[in-house]
Amino acid sequence: MRKVSLSSRVFDTVNILFMLIILVAVLYPILNIIATSVSSSRYISTGSVTVWPQGFNIEAYTTVFKDPYIFKGYLNSILYAVGSTGLMLLFTSLMAYPLTVQGFVGKKFLTIFLMITMFFGGGLIPTYLLMRSMHLLDTVWVMILPGAIGAYNVFLFRTFFMNIPSELRESALMDGANDPVVLFRIILPLSKALLATFALFGLVGSWNSWFEALVYLQDQDKYPLQMVLRNYLFTLDTNAIAGRVGAGNVAINQAGDSLDPQAVRMSVIIITMFPIMCIYPFFQKHFTKGILVGSIKG
Amino acid sequence: MYLMVLPGFLTVLIFNYFPMYGILIAFKNYSASKGIMDSPWVGLKYFKTFFHDPMAFRVLKNTLLLGLFTLFWSFPAPIILALLFNELRNKRFKKIVQTVSYFPHFISVVIVAGMIKEFTSRDGLFNDIISFFGGSPIMFLLEPDYFRTIFISSGIWQGVGFGTIIYLAALSGIDPTLYDVAEVDGANRWKKIVHITWPSIRSTTVILLIFAVGGILGTDFQKIILLYSPETYSVADVIGSYVYRQGILGAQYEYTTAIGLFMSMISFVILYLTNWISRKVSDTSLF
Repeated sequence: MRKVSLSSRVFDTVNILFMLIILVAVLYPILNIIATSVSSSRYISTGSVTVWPQGFNIEAYTTVFKDPYIFKGYLNSILYAVGSTGLMLLFTSLMAYPLTVQGFVGKKFLTIFLMITMFFGGGLIPTYLLMRSMHLLDTVWVMILPGAIGAYNVFLFRTFFMNIPSELRESALMDGANDPVVLFRIILPLSKALLATFALFGLVGSWNSWFEALVYLQDQDKYPLQMVLRNYLFTLDTNAIAGRVGAGNVAINQAGDSLDPQAVRMSVIIITMFPIMCIYPFFQKHFTKGILVGSIKG
Repeated sequence: MYLMVLPGFLTVLIFNYFPMYGILIAFKNYSASKGIMDSPWVGLKYFKTFFHDPMAFRVLKNTLLLGLFTLFWSFPAPIILALLFNELRNKRFKKIVQTVSYFPHFISVVIVAGMIKEFTSRDGLFNDIISFFGGSPIMFLLEPDYFRTIFISSGIWQGVGFGTIIYLAALSGIDPTLYDVAEVDGANRWKKIVHITWPSIRSTTVILLIFAVGGILGTDFQKIILLYSPETYSVADVIGSYVYRQGILGAQYEYTTAIGLFMSMISFVILYLTNWISRKVSDTSLF
C-alpha cells in the first residue's frame, strides 16, 4: 500500500470537483432544454424551470408536429443522411480497394489526385457556381453527392484493407471470382468495424449539417430538419410559427396560456437532437476506435 | 478494376477539381451565359478592389484576432483536460466524465447557436444569474465586447472533451512501469507529469499545433452566421461570413472568389511556415 501525500490528496479533490463542474456544464443546458420543452408557460416565464419539468405538459410537441415542415424535414434529413452515407461507404470502398492491389497501374496517380484535394479546393463561391451551372441547386443530389468521397477517408480505408491478408484475394481469384466479388464478399465482410464507425460518423455529420442546405436549397419543401430548426430559433416569430401550425395567434402568444414560445423552440431542439441522443450510447463505444484508426495512419 | 474506381474518380473530378478551375473567375468578368472560358479577362481588378474595400481591413483583422484568441484558449484546453482525466484514480468515474464530455461534439452548430441565444437572452440563464447578484441585464449577443468570449467559450464547451481523445490515445501507450520506477526514485505527481506524461504526448501536440496554426484563418463561420448581427459586425464579421454575404446573398461572384483565393494562399503560406519552423525547432513536421 503506497502512501498518499497531503498535496496529492488535495489535488485529487480539486480534480474531482473540476470534473463535477464539467458534468454540470454539459448536462445542465441539455436537461434544462428538455425540462423547458415540457413545462408550462407559467413556470417558464418566471424562470423557475431548471432541470426538472414544472407544470408538465407536452403541448409544445403536439403543436410543432402540426407544422408540416417538421415532418418533411425529418424525412429529408433521413434521406440525405442515409443517401450520402451509403454513397460514401460504397464509393470509398470501391476506390480504396484497387489502391491495395499489387501491380494496379495508376495507383500512384490516384493517390496524388486525391492528396491534392486535401490541400487545395475551389472554395465556397466556385463550388456554388458549379452546382448552379449543373442545375443541381434544389435537388437531392447536391445534398448527397459532393461529400461522397473524401481523400482522407479513402486513405483510411486503404490502410484498413491492407491489413487483410492478400492471400485471401489471390485464392478467391484462383477460384474464378473477380475483383468486385472479392471486395463485396471477402474484404467488406471483414471490415464491419470500419464500416460501422464510418457509417455512424457519416450519419451524424450529415444529420447535423445545415450550411449546404442554406446555400444550395431555396425550396423549403427540401429543407433538412436543421434548417427548419434554424428558422424556428432564429428567423420565425411567434405569429409565423402559429401560422405554420395552423393555429390562431392566440394559441402561442397569450400570456398565462400553458403553451410558451420558448417551450416550442426547445421542443424543436429536442426533436432535432433526438436521433443523436438515441444512438450516442452505442456510438460512443465505436468512435474512440474510429479516431484511433485515424491516428495510426501516420 | 478501373470501373470500380470510376464513380469516386468522377465525383472528385467534378466536385473538387472543377471548382478549382472555377477560381479563374477571380480574374474574369464572369457571366453565366458565356461560361468561365469565354468570360473576358480583367486581370487583378478584383484583388485591387479588395485592397480598397473599407471592409477589407475589418474582416481581415476580425479573422486574424478571432483565430489567434481561439488558438490561445481552445488549443491548450483539451491537453489540460486529458492530463486531468489521466490523473483520475476512479476508473468508473473517469469513464462517466469522459462519455459525458464527448457528447457536445455531436450536437449540431444550429442547436449550439440556439442554446447560446436562449441562455444569453434577457430572461436567459446568464441574465438570471446577473440579476440574482443585483446586476442589470446585458444583451450579450448585441454587445460587440462579448462576441469573442461567447464564440470561443461555446467552442470549448463543444470541443474540449472530444479533443482529449487523441491525447488520451497517446497517453494509453505509456508503459505503466515507468511510473512505478519514477515512484521508487522519489518522484512526486507533478514530476511524473512533467517527465513521463507530457513527453509522451508532445509529438502529438506539435502535429496538432501545426494544423491549428495553419488553420488559424479558417474560422468556423457557420456559427458566426447564426450568431452575428449588424450590431456585432465590427468584431464578428470574418472572411467566411463576408464572402457568404457578398457572394451568395449579394451575387458578387468574381470579387468573393478573389477574396477566397487570396485567403487560401495566405493560409497555405502560414501552414508552410509553421511546418518549417516546427521542423527546425522540434524535428516534428507534417511534410
